[in-house]
Amino acid sequence: MDLFHTVVNAVLRAFVALFSWAPPSVGLTIISASAGMGMLWVFRRTSDQARIRRVKKKVYAHLLEMRVYSDEPALTWRAQRSLLKVNVQYLLLTLPPCLFLAVPVAVLLIHVEAFYGRAPLELARPALVTAAFDSGPEGPAPELTIPPQFDISAPPVRVLSEHQVSWRVLPRAPFSGELTFAINGRKVTKRVVAGRGPAFVPGRRVRSVWASFWYPDEPHISAPGIEWIEVSYPGAVISVFGWQIPWLAWFVIVSMLSALLLKKRFGVTL
Amino acid sequence: MIVLGIDGMDPVFLERHWNSLPNLNRLRQRGDFRRLATTIPPQSPVAWSTVSTGLDPGGHGIFDFIHRDPATRLPISSMAEVTAASTTLHIGPYLLPLSSGRVESLRAGRTFWQLLGDHGVPATVIRMPANFPPAECEQESLAGMGTPDLNGSFGTFTFFTNDPAERRTQISGGRIVRLHIESGSTVLHIHGPPNTLRADHATRDIAVQVHADPTAAAARFDMPEQQFVLRQGEWSDWQRADFRLIAGLKSVSGIFRIYLQQVHPYLRIYVSPVNVDPNDPALPLSTPKRFSRTLAAELGPFYTQGIAEETSAFRAGILSKPEFLVQSRKVLADSLRMFRYQLNRFSSGLLFYYFSSIDQNSHMLWGKYEADLLDIYRKVDGAVGEAMAQPNTELLILSDHGFAPFDRAVHLNTWLMQQGYLTLNNPSHMGDAEEFAHVNWEKTQAYALGLNGIYLNLYGRENGGVVSLADKQDLLDEISQKLLDFRDPVNGEHVIDKIYFADKVYRGRNLKNAPDIIVGFRRGYRASWQTALGAVPAAAIEDNTQAWIGDHCMAADEVPGVLLSNRKFQVGNPEMTDIAATILNEFGVPGTREMLGRMVF
Repeated sequence: MDLFHTVVNAVLRAFVALFSWAPPSVGLTIISASAGMGMLWVFRRTSDQARIRRVKKKVYAHLLEMRVYSDEPALTWRAQRSLLKVNVQYLLLTLPPCLFLAVPVAVLLIHVEAFYGRAPLELARPALVTAAFDSGPEGPAPELTIPPQFDISAPPVRVLSEHQVSWRVLPRAPFSGELTFAINGRKVTKRVVAGRGPAFVPGRRVRSVWASFWYPDEPHISAPGIEWIEVSYPGAVISVFGWQIPWLAWFVIVSMLSALLLKKRFGVTL
Repeated sequence: MIVLGIDGMDPVFLERHWNSLPNLNRLRQRGDFRRLATTIPPQSPVAWSTVSTGLDPGGHGIFDFIHRDPATRLPISSMAEVTAASTTLHIGPYLLPLSSGRVESLRAGRTFWQLLGDHGVPATVIRMPANFPPAECEQESLAGMGTPDLNGSFGTFTFFTNDPAERRTQISGGRIVRLHIESGSTVLHIHGPPNTLRADHATRDIAVQVHADPTAAAARFDMPEQQFVLRQGEWSDWQRADFRLIAGLKSVSGIFRIYLQQVHPYLRIYVSPVNVDPNDPALPLSTPKRFSRTLAAELGPFYTQGIAEETSAFRAGILSKPEFLVQSRKVLADSLRMFRYQLNRFSSGLLFYYFSSIDQNSHMLWGKYEADLLDIYRKVDGAVGEAMAQPNTELLILSDHGFAPFDRAVHLNTWLMQQGYLTLNNPSHMGDAEEFAHVNWEKTQAYALGLNGIYLNLYGRENGGVVSLADKQDLLDEISQKLLDFRDPVNGEHVIDKIYFADKVYRGRNLKNAPDIIVGFRRGYRASWQTALGAVPAAAIEDNTQAWIGDHCMAADEVPGVLLSNRKFQVGNPEMTDIAATILNEFGVPGTREMLGRMVF
């Protein structure tokens, strides 16, 4: 799983780096448009286009029927029933491509979150680093080693009821590197990013291989006793024509728009 | 023109400390400095309403922080009235409004910035007291003193603790909640506003989980959308919370700060009053409406509650003096941040900016902690220096009153009872029960409410009043003479310097809410807190043992304000009513016919 994530991550990093000269919205727009085209391609390959075309014609026919015979209640009622039926048929026909698309789109979105969904820690603004353990921690909190660009501005807080420890860190200068925890005699690291501007900001680092599907930005933790480590990053928004919007909203708009605009070129009936 | 309103700046304190206040000193040397005659009574909402409108209290109709409803004799805010929707639809537990509720200012008269706006002169008016809701106009204004917290009060804090020594649950200006802690964790239920969309008006809460470290003096706070860690003795940043009225449909937004006072052996957590969120205001905070959002976008969250200094918690012993000073400096820092923002964008017209810190700190420090108070004066002096640096700008600085010690608390209702003007159902009921809980109105001729007011129980005006109109003046004269003869049993000194009758001292005739007698206490004396809310304690006068040690609700001559400018004054004894006239005259804008006052330059 780690290898897979590393490859996906490396591709995305290379892609984002290509557009590092431009505002983040440019790179995201290209990713979203590409995703829209990718989805069209998968849709064409995995759907029964001929049947979809037939069912859509039926949909139009029943809509026309309702309009033409609007003064015939019995006919209108029958047309509505038929319309419902062909709509269900349409949904069933689009189900297989949707299933095929679900996993790659999920993987893409989970990875893209680290580029556009989180902002680096703000300088001189405290942030929390939290580690969750299998049990305890009954004794002293594990030791956290920070880079010189950071301060620890409060004692670590052990939350016994949730088996967590939280440290409050204060970034003093821009930094991208690692925090190091000494846990049960082993060293565990967590990437941390502070400063300005867009950056790759990794989310939670987890021990469970299965959970790492949802948290793919760093390799899973191999040390026992610790479940995850997380840094509380501020959320990021994308600036599009002066509007501040969540990156996911822009992704949906652009990918859908590109799919609708290019469906004829791809020979796809949606 | 820049006008700085510095609440409570005292002329005698200034004269004692000119050398420590270089900018104010420079201003008086280059320009002018005078004592500014304050209003009767010398209370902030009264005086600032006069500044705003150029009317005396008889014109603008504000005579105190509170006045009484003659029908119930219960205290109500003098500054604003909130009216719920008159028509509602009851569906299950919900109460859906079919008409809109209203928030109305009780201040009459047009303000100087409205008049400036009528003539195309731009004005920005920040935190003018008694300007909630803000006077309707296109000028930029932000509401000041009188703006409630999200609960509708003047500021209700919450103190959470598991300290067994703390047995109180309700205190003036706050509530105390007992915590139950399991494995170091507990939950704070922070009250939002009463849910007016539910028939039971149940208060909406948000839950904040608190996890205290087993040994270290720090705790983690888990809010619905974020977590933060505080060390013992630290204040949090502003926290924003949505209080849901109808799930998914309607919520109101509030902001508050948390102070972790102590972790071990007992958890002690102070939560500030929940302020109206300026970014999404549930109440009218500004004109135009978007102005508070603009300020929040530029400056981040800021105090919107009218009086933000936590004097109630200090008085109640919840916050110590150093803790109060830290909090009040945060309020001042917040205010200075906004002041600098306004100063940077000021280019023409008028900028009015109000500072509350000297007033609120003087109440807690006057006469006893001179160095701490001087530190606040110095910070405000710095702001004056920044205003003085504006080129080609007239600068006018005023305070609404000065200060005096508050050594002895006078229970006016008890005095009225001792003189036979107020009767209890049972004499053993004397105590701190507020709102005239045990008063026999059939046998009561006069009662006191607010900080300077005595009202007759007048037939035809008060519900069940017993004093006839024919007897009114004789009774007023009789009570007044006895008040002037009232001597402190401890030192034999007169307690009251002056007695004022509303129909004689005011030129305006808007006297509906005016007390029949306005009591001008001698320096050092003031109506007790119990008097203000209609209690009848055992003794007529006692030592003021509270942390609130300075005040100004005395005879107006005892506590004049100040007037400074970078120009010479042509008037020897300026008054509050002169301010609006002077500002309007500077821009060549005529005042209204009702406005009093002269041009001071």
